[in-house]
Amino acid sequence: MEQTTDVATVSRARQGDPEAFRQLVERHSKPIFRVAYRMTGNEHDADDVVQETLLRAYRQLEQFEERANFGTWLHRIAVNCSLDLLRSRGRHDKHYAGDTSDEQLQGEITAADPQPDRLLLSVELQQHVTAALERLSGNERTAFILRHFDGMPVEEIGRTLGIQVNAAKHTIFRAVRKLREALEPFVRSTQCNT
Amino acid sequence: MQHLNEETLVAHYYHDDDAPPAAEEHLRVCGACRAQCETIRRVLALVDEAPVPDRGEQYGEQVWNRLRWKLGRERRTGVRWQTLAAAAALVAIAFFGGQLWHARNTAPSQGPLPAGGDRVAEARVRGAGGDAATSPDRILLVVVGDHLDMSERMLVELANADPKKSLDISSQQRRAVDLVASNRIYRQTAAQRGDERIASVLSDLEPVLVELSHAGSSLTPEEVSALQKRIDAKGLLFKVRVVSAQGGRAEQQRTAPIDSNSL
Repeated sequence: MEQTTDVATVSRARQGDPEAFRQLVERHSKPIFRVAYRMTGNEHDADDVVQETLLRAYRQLEQFEERANFGTWLHRIAVNCSLDLLRSRGRHDKHYAGDTSDEQLQGEITAADPQPDRLLLSVELQQHVTAALERLSGNERTAFILRHFDGMPVEEIGRTLGIQVNAAKHTIFRAVRKLREALEPFVRSTQCNT
Repeated sequence: MQHLNEETLVAHYYHDDDAPPAAEEHLRVCGACRAQCETIRRVLALVDEAPVPDRGEQYGEQVWNRLRWKLGRERRTGVRWQTLAAAAALVAIAFFGGQLWHARNTAPSQGPLPAGGDRVAEARVRGAGGDAATSPDRILLVVVGDHLDMSERMLVELANADPKKSLDISSQQRRAVDLVASNRIYRQTAAQRGDERIASVLSDLEPVLVELSHAGSSLTPEEVSALQKRIDAKGLLFKVRVVSAQGGRAEQQRTAPIDSNSL
């Protein structure tokens, strides 16, 4: 339904109708923010990425193929904008500055409710997850986000990051290993039932 | 029995492993690897819960309010693309017309200056001629500033492009065609007026614009990289920004209230 609505709205926006572009902005700002926040890990940066994404989309509206999904197209632009931002700040290959150590994380969990279902709902746990993501390097975070949340194929992640497929695969693995190290104490270690 | 290593388990989780049936078969018979696999699944399920701040229902509207003035400027700039060549031609005509007029009107006074008050009057005439000549200079700087502003945006897009990827430049290419034509007129005008600084920047800029205008709808990674090096080597972006900023200041002066001396 949204895709059908977008087609007509994009068409009007391409003809220079500012009201149509306003509708697209209002419809897609939140999803773009989600992508940008996951990529940058920072609210203000994510807001900047939202602005830049929509500005680029406006400039490149003529290049958008109407058969494509407008949301997906915006998503790609948002990923590129986020990468540009991270690169411009020299954060891409550096580690994010997490301010919570593993010892702190694990120390806090011993005092927490051991039931995973309840932990899942806790604000503290969300903070731990956020902190664990912040401890990934820029490349690890980007590769992981694109694979885990966006389902982007490894080949495309490699192209996006300018690295080989195997390197992309290994980067995703490093990210998962770090997340596991940080978050394993929070999950119950049981055998697979699959 | 050889267990699956952690990297294979992660790849298997994302269906990125090279031999999924073999991994599947191993997991069916190996409890230790199944436990590892389950731990990874649970950890990643936790990550799914990572919070994203809620921006509220009005977020889209807030974004639009911040964005629309920028888009307004973009639209105005879009209109300027079409009028730029015409503006360049007008400046050139005005400049050369002014030169011709100035030459005709100052021709009788090429001899020795008269003495006394006549000498002062002649100096005033020449001074007025000088003022008249200053005006096209300022106009030139303003219009060139506009031209450089648009060129700068194109250079920034190029400079920020990923040199490892092809770059779609279909929209920039059309703009570059217009900019080349304007650039030639401004460069020649600046050279004839003896403004070497502007002429030099325009001269450095022209090959890049020409290359873009002759390029296809996309640049290969090698072409992107070569252009970035050229922009970087000549410090082109910096030079363009400096002159563009001077154009902006000149425009502010031009639009400032008219002083009594000019009446």
